[in-house]
Amino acid sequence: MLRSWKDLDHFQEFIDSGGIVEPGDDMPDEYRSEVFRFIEFHANSELMGGLTERDWIPKTPGLRLKQIFLAKTQDEIGHAHLLYMVAADMGVKSRNQMIEELFAGKSRFHNVFHYQAVTWADQVAIAFLVDAAAFASQRAVFAQCTYGPYKRVLKRIVAEEGFHLRHGEDMLMSLAEGSPIQHQMFQEALERWWWPAVQLFGPDSDPADPLLKWKIKSERNEVLRMAYIQKFVPLLQGYGFKIPDDELRYDEASKKWLTSEIDWEPLKATMRNGGPDSRRRIANASANWSETRWVRDALDAAADNQSKNAAADGLARSAGTAA
Amino acid sequence: MRTYEVFLKRAGKEEFRHAGALDAPDDDMARLLARESYVRRGEGSLMWLVARANIVEGDSDFLEPNFDKPHRHNDGSNIAARRKRQRSAASADTEPSA
Ligand SMILES: [Fe+2]
Ligand SMILES: [Fe+2]
Repeated sequence: MLRSWKDLDHFQEFIDSGGIVEPGDDMPDEYRSEVFRFIEFHANSELMGGLTERDWIPKTPGLRLKQIFLAKTQDEIGHAHLLYMVAADMGVKSRNQMIEELFAGKSRFHNVFHYQAVTWADQVAIAFLVDAAAFASQRAVFAQCTYGPYKRVLKRIVAEEGFHLRHGEDMLMSLAEGSPIQHQMFQEALERWWWPAVQLFGPDSDPADPLLKWKIKSERNEVLRMAYIQKFVPLLQGYGFKIPDDELRYDEASKKWLTSEIDWEPLKATMRNGGPDSRRRIANASANWSETRWVRDALDAAADNQSKNAAADGLARSAGTAA
Repeated sequence: MRTYEVFLKRAGKEEFRHAGALDAPDDDMARLLARESYVRRGEGSLMWLVARANIVEGDSDFLEPNFDKPHRHNDGSNIAARRKRQRSAASADTEPSA
């Protein structure tokens, strides 16, 4: 063990003075379990997002976009990989356990991956609106993030999300400036994805949220959500789209876009894996896990052979020196 | 399966930096997985993979004896104080008398 703290107050002092926690530290149990849960949720979301994207690769129009989507899928699965590695090193659950619980429908993942992408424009809405929301919330975690290994992988994840966003806006632009049918297609996708993207940030933060106190989150949910709305309302309107909110208004006094009251029921349903597409998504992911079992078996067999060979080598060598 | 730690160095500058970790059955597979997981956009021009089991660690208890060695440091404050005294003496000399 590297470092330990007498009690939560001392630990808080360490955090408040800019301390970064490392895996070997004897961190408080509360910190370990909360941070683990948060990273597990993030990892699950990257994996479920990547798997959804994978489904769209055959349907992605044109070779160039297909290449972009293949690369993006690899990035998302890669993000999951890095995060599961970090989470597993916290010693709460193994990677297999996390993945198996996720595919058995026992775990949580981002609300946006509980909905179905109906047309190509939905995929564009996801690549732009959803990635932008995820990007904003991840960047806010990266800004402080007192858990060292998480901060280090977030640096790379956030950088890659930046590429996704720019690709996303490129694709949005071509639909917006394309034929009236393309424009209309994105308008309809926006109607399906606007609210889930806004809800991704979650309801207003509980002032006692330990993740804020321990500086895993650097910003409250409502602040991030508000900033997102300020950015995307004018941006989408600039492309000629209508935000699906009849009460949306610009408040001159605060110089802010204000939305109608947010209904949090859809978000809560997704957190119980009871969203519109949760069952199909989880079943698909789980089927994929079984179909790819042979890859894991092959890797395990190679690892076994490797250690057997190493043992045989060692035996031969020591026999050699004895002779 | 072995766990490997991944280190990358950018062309021309910087030291090797820790990039993350991965699980692989052998060195060849580790190299391949490391390239696909950590160097998708040229994040390094050289890569080191170290099996975690082979890392020799020194913890804080071991390093602690060298934390408090003031005689190994010198912030130059004595010399700076002397130069400051000299400067103010010099400017006092050249100041016109009232
Ligand atoms: Fe991602
Ligand atoms: Fe992404």
